[in-house]
Amino acid sequence: MTRRLIGFVLILVSILILPYWIYIPVLFVGIVLFPFFWEGIILAFFINIIHNVGTSFSVSLISPLTLAVLVALIVLLPIRESLRSYV
Amino acid sequence: MYVKRIFLLAVIFIFVATVFPFLDTTIITIASPIWRTINKILGSEVPPSLMSNQTQENILLELAGRKQKTNVVVASVLTRPPQTPYDVIIIDAGLNESIVIGSEVSLPEGPILGVVSEVFPKSAKVKLFSASGDEINAVLERNNVPVTLIGTGGGNFRFELPRDMIVETGDRILSSDITARHLATVGDVSVRPTDSFKEVLAKSPINIFTLRFVFVAP
Repeated sequence: MTRRLIGFVLILVSILILPYWIYIPVLFVGIVLFPFFWEGIILAFFINIIHNVGTSFSVSLISPLTLAVLVALIVLLPIRESLRSYV
Repeated sequence: MYVKRIFLLAVIFIFVATVFPFLDTTIITIASPIWRTINKILGSEVPPSLMSNQTQENILLELAGRKQKTNVVVASVLTRPPQTPYDVIIIDAGLNESIVIGSEVSLPEGPILGVVSEVFPKSAKVKLFSASGDEINAVLERNNVPVTLIGTGGGNFRFELPRDMIVETGDRILSSDITARHLATVGDVSVRPTDSFKEVLAKSPINIFTLRFVFVAP
């Protein structure tokens, strides 16, 4: 649980200060590493709110990044059991 | 079991999509001091020399009897690409400095960059003209041909011209208003033997990845 929280905070900080080609891959690494990482959805919307314009409800729903995170989380559900994670 | 989790993810997704737009101002207000501190550490504060800048273009317009607004606000850039995946920058001036949605943002040297899209009390989001998919009317200086620049992200644009029209690397593209300010510079021209149009790639006059200060016309 502590590692999960640290991971969340690290991704959050990287969104604020690092380039997108670092924090977006890090977000997806987090989704793969941590089981059922629903916090990834919050982080994806956080990226949208901070770095995009026109972040209304309808725009957020069809944002490629948030959708990609949701799809990744859903796809990982059945294959998660075959993945071995030490986190 | 999976269906239950998928349903839970969908609920979280819709909940966050509903709630986050209302937290927009709060999140930016909380994050701004962090970016300001980073700017201070990196030495990206507004130099005093920029505060009393009057461009040559303003003087010319004044001589022609058409004064341009001179009450520009100088702002530091808090976030810029590649920190943001979109061509959106956040500046440290907002409602408190009379900035409104649609305010024009330009470089101290004159070239125009974009317009303010969202305003907060002490900061504002600026969408650059080079944002992917955005279109802006402009004029190709060499032939005075009106063109429509299409943003492709990263400070780049593209547009099409008839293949017989002469355009070369380094040609300037100007805004279509009376000030005719520098918008972009032609970077590459590609034409295939079978095409009746040539595709022109253009880039911003400055590197948007190193933007530090901008002028905002409230």
